[in-house]
Amino acid sequence: MTHFTALVVFSGLVGIAFGALSSEHSDTRERVLYGLKVFGSFVGIGFGIAWVLYFLPR
Amino acid sequence: MQQEKITESASSPARTALASLAALVFPGLGHLVLGRWGRGLLLALSLTAMFVLGLLMKGHIFTPVAEVKLSYVYTVLNMGMGLPYFLCLATGFGFTPQDAIQTAEYGNTFLAVTGALNLLAAMDAFDIAIGRKQ
Repeated sequence: MTHFTALVVFSGLVGIAFGALSSEHSDTRERVLYGLKVFGSFVGIGFGIAWVLYFLPR
Repeated sequence: MQQEKITESASSPARTALASLAALVFPGLGHLVLGRWGRGLLLALSLTAMFVLGLLMKGHIFTPVAEVKLSYVYTVLNMGMGLPYFLCLATGFGFTPQDAIQTAEYGNTFLAVTGALNLLAAMDAFDIAIGRKQ
């Protein structure tokens, strides 16, 4: 499993759990959107960190 | 007003205790006890998948090591998974560190986060049972 695959799988599963456990969202549609937002945030921030690390010398 | 709302939909103390305990035993079970089928099944499937994937990635379940303070944190998080943790403990499966394998760190993270999410799920089940949340 590559780092990216692990990131996507992790983000997806955590997004599902956060969507199910959210206190701020009452109906199903809001929960699904929140889960997708969590998923996108994890992947997006992962990409952002990867970009910053790319420019750092090893 | 808030207090009234809590009292209206609150379960009996026995049902609250049962739901909270069930949630700690297996992911999603507390929600199933409370009749929240959708949420219960989603939690059961996602957290079990995460736990299995963690083990498949050669992550390991932690035990406390006196010199490594972080191992205590990981142990508590791993224990948060409930029954699967104790099944592994009984069989000895998953306790051997395999740090040489590239995906082992990913696996450790999956396993620790699974336990943390299950602890959150148990608190969520408690909140639903006392009527603080729908």
